[in-house]
Amino acid sequence: LLATLSRRSASLMQRVYEPSVKLDSVVSEENDDTEANSSDDEFFVPKGQKKQADNELPTYDDIDAEDCSKFFKAKLRDWSNEDLINSIRDRFVTGNWSK
Amino acid sequence: MGRDKTRRLSGSRHLRQRLVLATLTSTGVTIDDIRSGDAAPGLRPYEVSLLRLLDKISDRHTIDLNETGTKLKYMPGVIQGGKGLEHDCGVHRGIGYFLEPLILLGLFAKAPISIRLKGITNDTKDPSVDTFRMTTLHMLKHFGVPLEGLELKIDSRGSPPLGGGEVFLRVPNINSTLTAANWVDEGMVKRIRGVSFSTRVSPQIESRIIYAARGIFNRFIPDVHIFTDHRSGASGGRSPGYGVSLVAETTTGCLLSVDATVSYPSVDEINDESEKPELMSPEDLGVQAASMLLEEVAQGGVVDSTHQGLLFILCALCPADVSKVRVGQLTPHGIETLRNIRDFLNVMFVIKPDPNSNTITLKCVGAGVKNIARKSS
Repeated sequence: LLATLSRRSASLMQRVYEPSVKLDSVVSEENDDTEANSSDDEFFVPKGQKKQADNELPTYDDIDAEDCSKFFKAKLRDWSNEDLINSIRDRFVTGNWSK
Repeated sequence: MGRDKTRRLSGSRHLRQRLVLATLTSTGVTIDDIRSGDAAPGLRPYEVSLLRLLDKISDRHTIDLNETGTKLKYMPGVIQGGKGLEHDCGVHRGIGYFLEPLILLGLFAKAPISIRLKGITNDTKDPSVDTFRMTTLHMLKHFGVPLEGLELKIDSRGSPPLGGGEVFLRVPNINSTLTAANWVDEGMVKRIRGVSFSTRVSPQIESRIIYAARGIFNRFIPDVHIFTDHRSGASGGRSPGYGVSLVAETTTGCLLSVDATVSYPSVDEINDESEKPELMSPEDLGVQAASMLLEEVAQGGVVDSTHQGLLFILCALCPADVSKVRVGQLTPHGIETLRNIRDFLNVMFVIKPDPNSNTITLKCVGAGVKNIARKSS
C-alpha cells in the first residue's frame, strides 16, 4: 500500500511540474485536428472562431487561455438525493460523531 | 536591484499572476505571441486596463507594448501605493479580476493602498466583491496580515453588461515578510452565511433566491442566514441583474465560498442573434449556488477551488519556513499557479494525496520575499 501511495504522490507532482508528456500528446492531437480541417474547403480558420466551433474545453497548454480563477464544475449533482446528502453529512457539525 | 534578470514568456494566459510575480521578484518579463493567431490579436481591453492600474500604483517601472499589442515588455519598479487612487475597470471583466492581483501587490507596497474601483461588481467569470469581502480578505490573516487595515466597501453595485458599480478597497502594507502558515485542519461546517443582491430588478427576487437555497441547506444545517442587498437608483448601477454569494464557515475558521450571478451577457459575448436571452430564474439560481457550495464542502480543503491560486502564492511568498496547506482537488488554475510559482520564485511544492479524506496536502519552503519598497523609504 505504501508503495502505491508514494507512486500516487509522485505522479501528482509529475502532473503538476512535468507537463512535457502531456504536452506532446496534446500537440499531436492538435496536429491531427488541423490536418482534418485542412482537408475541408475552409483552410484558414482564425483561432478564436475555431474554438467556438469546436466548443472544446480549454486545455492546459493553450498559451492564450483565459485568465480566470473561478473553477466551474462541469455538472452539478442533485443535492436533494438522500445518498448524496449522507455522503457529506459528517462534514457538518450536525453530523454523527459517535463513529 | 535585480534589473538584469528578464524572463521570456509567450501567450496571454495567466497575465495577472505573471505580472504580480514579476513585480514581487523584480524580474523583467517579455511576453510575446499574445493571441497572435487570433482573429482579434493582442491584449484585450481589460488587460490594458490592468496594465494602467499597475502603472498607477507603481513607480520607476517601464511598460512597453508594440503596435498590435501582441508583445509586452514589463520592467517592474517600486510599488508605491498611496491614498485617493481611482481606477475605472471597464465593463469587460468584473472588479474581481483586478482585486486578485491588487491585494497581493498592495501587501508589498511602500504605503498602504486605498483605491476606488469602478466597473462590474458581480459577474460570472470573476469572484464577486462579496466573496472578496467575506472570504478572500480573511484568508490573509492566516499569513500574518492584520485584518484592521483591510477593507472593501461596496458603494454601488453594477451588473454586466453596463456595470456602474463602485467599490473602495484598502490594503495595508506588511512590515517585511508574511508569516508561514500551517493550515491543514478544515474542521466541520458550523454555519452558512451569504448575501444576495439585486440591481434594477424587484427586491422580491432576492427572497426567491434565498428561499430556494435554504431549501437545500435545511437538510444539513439550521444555522443559515443570507442577507439581502437590494440596490435601486444610482447605487444599482446601469444594468439589471441578481445573484448570491454564499460562505460556509467551519469550526476552525476556514471559509468556503461560491457565488453565482444572473444578468444579460457582457459586451464581449453578444453575438449576432441580438435577441435578449432568457435569464435563469431566481429559484434555479438559488439551487445552483447552494449545490455549488455543497460541492465545495464535499471536496474538502481549507479554501474553496477559486482561492487555490492565491493560497499557493501566499505560501510561496512566505519566509524560508515550511508552510503546509490542504486543498480539495487541484483546479487547472491551481496547477498553472504552481508552475508559475516554480518559474518565478523557484519554489516547488511537495504534493501528497491524502486517501482518507480525498484531499491533497501541499508543503513548501517559502521564497522569503521581503517588502523592499517599504525598507528603502
